[in-house]
Order: sequence, then structure tokens, then C-alpha cells
Amino acid sequence: MKALRNLLDKQKPHFEKGGKFEKLHAAFDSVETLFYVPDKVTTKGSHFRDAIDMKRTMITVFIALIPALLFGMWNIGYQHFLSIGEQPDFWTMFFYGFFKMLPIIIVSYGVGLGLEILFAQIRNHEVNEGFFVSGLLIPMIVPPEIPLWQVGVAVAFAVIFGKEVFGGTGMNIVNPALTARAFLFFAYPTDISGDKVWIAEKLDSFSGATPLGNAMIGDFSNMPSAMDMFMGTIPGSVGETSTLMILIGAVILLLTGIANWRIMLTVFAGGYIMGLLFNLWGANAYMEVPAWQHLIMGGFAFGAVFMATDPVTGTQTTKGMYYYGFLIGMIAVLIRVFNPAYPEGMMLAILLLNVFAPLIDHYVIAGNIKRRLKRLKALTN
Amino acid sequence: MQEIFNIFIRSIFIDNMVFAYFLGMCSYLAVSKTVPTSVGLGLAVIFVLGITVPVDYLLNEFVLKPGAMAWLSSDFADVDLSFLSFVLFIAIIASMVQLVEMIIEKFSPSLYASLGIFLPLIAVNCAILGGSLFMQQREYQSLAQATSFGLGSGVGWFLAIVGIAAIREKIRYSNVPPALRGLGITFIITGLMGIAFMSFLGITI
Repeated sequence: MKALRNLLDKQKPHFEKGGKFEKLHAAFDSVETLFYVPDKVTTKGSHFRDAIDMKRTMITVFIALIPALLFGMWNIGYQHFLSIGEQPDFWTMFFYGFFKMLPIIIVSYGVGLGLEILFAQIRNHEVNEGFFVSGLLIPMIVPPEIPLWQVGVAVAFAVIFGKEVFGGTGMNIVNPALTARAFLFFAYPTDISGDKVWIAEKLDSFSGATPLGNAMIGDFSNMPSAMDMFMGTIPGSVGETSTLMILIGAVILLLTGIANWRIMLTVFAGGYIMGLLFNLWGANAYMEVPAWQHLIMGGFAFGAVFMATDPVTGTQTTKGMYYYGFLIGMIAVLIRVFNPAYPEGMMLAILLLNVFAPLIDHYVIAGNIKRRLKRLKALTN
Repeated sequence: MQEIFNIFIRSIFIDNMVFAYFLGMCSYLAVSKTVPTSVGLGLAVIFVLGITVPVDYLLNEFVLKPGAMAWLSSDFADVDLSFLSFVLFIAIIASMVQLVEMIIEKFSPSLYASLGIFLPLIAVNCAILGGSLFMQQREYQSLAQATSFGLGSGVGWFLAIVGIAAIREKIRYSNVPPALRGLGITFIITGLMGIAFMSFLGITI
């Protein structure tokens, strides 16, 4: 560690103003803050002093993602070997998935951080840790066999149009990871949806449909058991399959206070209530899927825990969070059941509510102002 | 009844005037700086669409359609006046907008001032004419269907402009690149909102 510090200190003057690599200071800065907490502190004005900063927030989310990520890697291998009828040991499966995932993660971080550094350089701000989490979320919501250039293009779109044009981390309107996913979904639909994509290098005779894919075409006979869906030994994207691992992540996020429990709870509640309503209606087989099953199918849990709780793109007001989460859950299940074009509604439901989150906040705040004015009036009279 | 409700929902979410057809963009981009103003304009558009579409429906049904004049006398049974639709639809729209303008000026002078030139410009808002032309093209079966289509389209447009106004209020202090400030970033936001609204695309009700 000492050697690293020395190395950084030795190089630092070159990157400061007047040094020979002055233009690359953002790149240097990002490397330095990756390893060390910056020693700059605010001196003027009143501030809350707290150990939590963006770096710590992002690393906590990162840690919360790890269980789902590791399980997902194993699951890629498991599904692959299951489809070709082999049963190798645990590590073979894990490393098969690991080496499928690694290039995607590298491309995602490479393109994303490259663009972040470029923007930081041109626009003269610092590289934020914001992409740290998005860069891992994106590989976790794409199929394992996706062409790498598509990952690159999607990440570039998400970073530039989802984030940097708004001024970088903390200013974005829509979740960058979901923007990347939606971009892929609408730009290259054949590579990201359907039965073929969710299992790596499978035999053609083996059906690779996800539970949601089956449900969409009305095939309920091949549904995996609820236990399998909860544990996650089903085809699907890396992050989403195992509800158990996602719940471990959720516990980490909630205990550390990084994610807001209100959003998480109301998303699940909204999905469950919508499922119940459909159960009551029961016009077709899809509507009769038990309400609780909606919560463990597909990306519902993943979206609820890691995407909807994004503090930047979600609602900021306490009351707004309840509406926000509830609507996400309801619309996600609504799209699943009603929309024959998309098997999964979670991504688009969150995007839709991201767009309307500022409006919800606006009206919650307007309501607060009105109530307080009334109170003031009552006091002064 | 079911059909009327379906048309209403469809015109709000699936065939949204702004995000599915990109109609009515001029006032959508220009007046969406604050939420209260955009609420006012949105309500005006709902009102105008809710009146002009059914009126134009009647006009189309009894005057313009091929053979529509048969109710006058059998001599007119093969008269086709549909080439007049643009002119007559616009005339109706313009007079309705005049009416709205007078009402708003009377009851809310502050809103009247903040809407400014864009209130009379509703008359040439393509979403309004688009509403009437879609009504003609999709051949709605009854006055009630046309009304629900008009109101639904208005509500869809209202949602769009109020949504973007809230976003623009939120990003007012964001560090947007100087070249993109104002309209540039608004176009980008509209695109992102369009992606989000694609969630409803393909729903058949």
C-alpha cells in the first residue's frame, strides 16, 4: 500500500496545473480516488459531517450486488451444461459463467469509464464514482451471449444521453443502467429477447424460454417450480434469476440505509396488489398466476431492490416515494399481463416512473406548502 | 361502453400525441418551462380537443363524408366534400381557440399572461388538427367514441407537457453543457420520455 501511495505521490505533480500531463488530470484523479479517500475537505459554510460519501455509497451497493452476481455466474454455467446434458462439478460451472461474464463487465467498465473520464476532462469536473454501480448493473441485465459491441454502444448511449448531457452523476433523469437495457431492447431486439438468448451455447433442441417468456405465449405447463424461481436455477439474465441472492443484497442495502425501504416495500406491495386484482379478474390463464409468483418471476425483485431505489432518479420526498414505488409495481405487472410485445415490464415501468418522479415530487411539495400556509394562517388569525 | 373506455385509455397511453406521433411539439417545447403554466396550457388543449373532435365528427358525418349530405335530399347522395375537411376543421378549431382565449382572459389573467402567444397558437397546434384528422381516418363509429378520443388525446398531451415541465424544473440547476441548454436538452428528455412511453406500445385493448 505504501509503495502505491509513493508511486501516486511521485506522479501527482505531472498531472497538476502546469505539469506535463495536465490534460489527463481527471484520469489520474479517478485512479487516485479509487484507492484513497481524497484529502480535500470543505472549509466554508455549514455542512453535515458524515462518514458517508458517494464512494462509500457506491461500494455498498457494489457489495450488495456481489451475491447475485456470483450466483448468476454459476447459473450461466449450470444452464449451459444442463442444456447439453452434462453435469460437471461446481467450479467448472462457475468458471464457465465467469469467463462468459468477464468480457461483458470489462467492456461495460471500459467504455463507461472512458467516456466519463473524457467528459470530466472536457467539462472540467471530477470523475464521479457514479458509473461504478451502473457499470456492474448493465452486465447483470443483459443476456450472456450478447455481442460485445452492442454492450459498448448501449453503454455509450446510456452514459452520454442518460447522464453526461444532464451534467453527470446525480443530475440524470433516468437510470443509466435501464437506459442501456432499453436501448438494447429497442435497437437490437433479436439479440436480447426471445427463447434463444438466455442460455449460453445451448443445443437448439433445448428450450431456453424464461418463465415470463412461456407465460407470454400462454404456455403454463412448463413453468418451473416456485422453489426454482426463488433460488434462481432458471434461465434468465445474470442478476435477476435468484430472488434469494437479491434479498441478501436488499438486506445489506437496508441495513446500511443506502436504499430506501419505502420504495422497496411499495414496489413489492404494488406488484402484489396488481397481481391480486388480476387474480380476481381472472380473464385468462396469465391473470390467474398467483400474485406472489409475480414477485419472484423475471426481473421484478432485481428491479425493485437495485433499480427503483436509485436515489437520483427516484422521488425525493417521503410521501412521493410511496406513490412512486406503488406505481412501479402495478405498472410492471400490468405490462407483463397486458402487453403482448414485452414479456417483462419491470424495466419500462421503472423508466416510466423515473420520468414522472419530478412531477410527483412537485405536487408533494406543492401540497406541503399549501398545508403549511394554512397552518400559518390559522396561527396568525 | 367498453369500446369507448378502451379508446380513451389507448389515446392517452398507447397512441400518445406527443410520444407516439410527435405532434404538437412547438407549444410542448416552448411552454414547458414551469409546471403551473404547462398545466394551464394542457387543460386548454384538453378542452379544445374535447370540443373540436366531436364537432368535427358531426361535420364529417353530416356534411363532408362521401354521401353524407343524403339527409338533405337524395340529390346530394353522391356528393363528396371531403376535400374541404382541412379548411373546415381549421375553421372550427380556430373559433374554439378564440372561445378558450376569451374564457381564460376573463377568469385567469395571470395564466393568460404567462401563456402569451401560445394560447392563440393552439389553433395551429398540430395535435389539435391531428386529433380531428385521426378521428376522420380511423372512422370512429359514434359521437361518444369521437369525444372520448378527443378527451383522451388531450389528457395524453397534458401528461406529456406536465411531465416534461417537472423535469425541466428539476434540471434547472443541473450542469448541462452550454450548447445543449434550453431546447437541446428538452429534445433529449423528450426522446428519453418516448422510450419510457414505449412500455405501452403494442398493448391491444
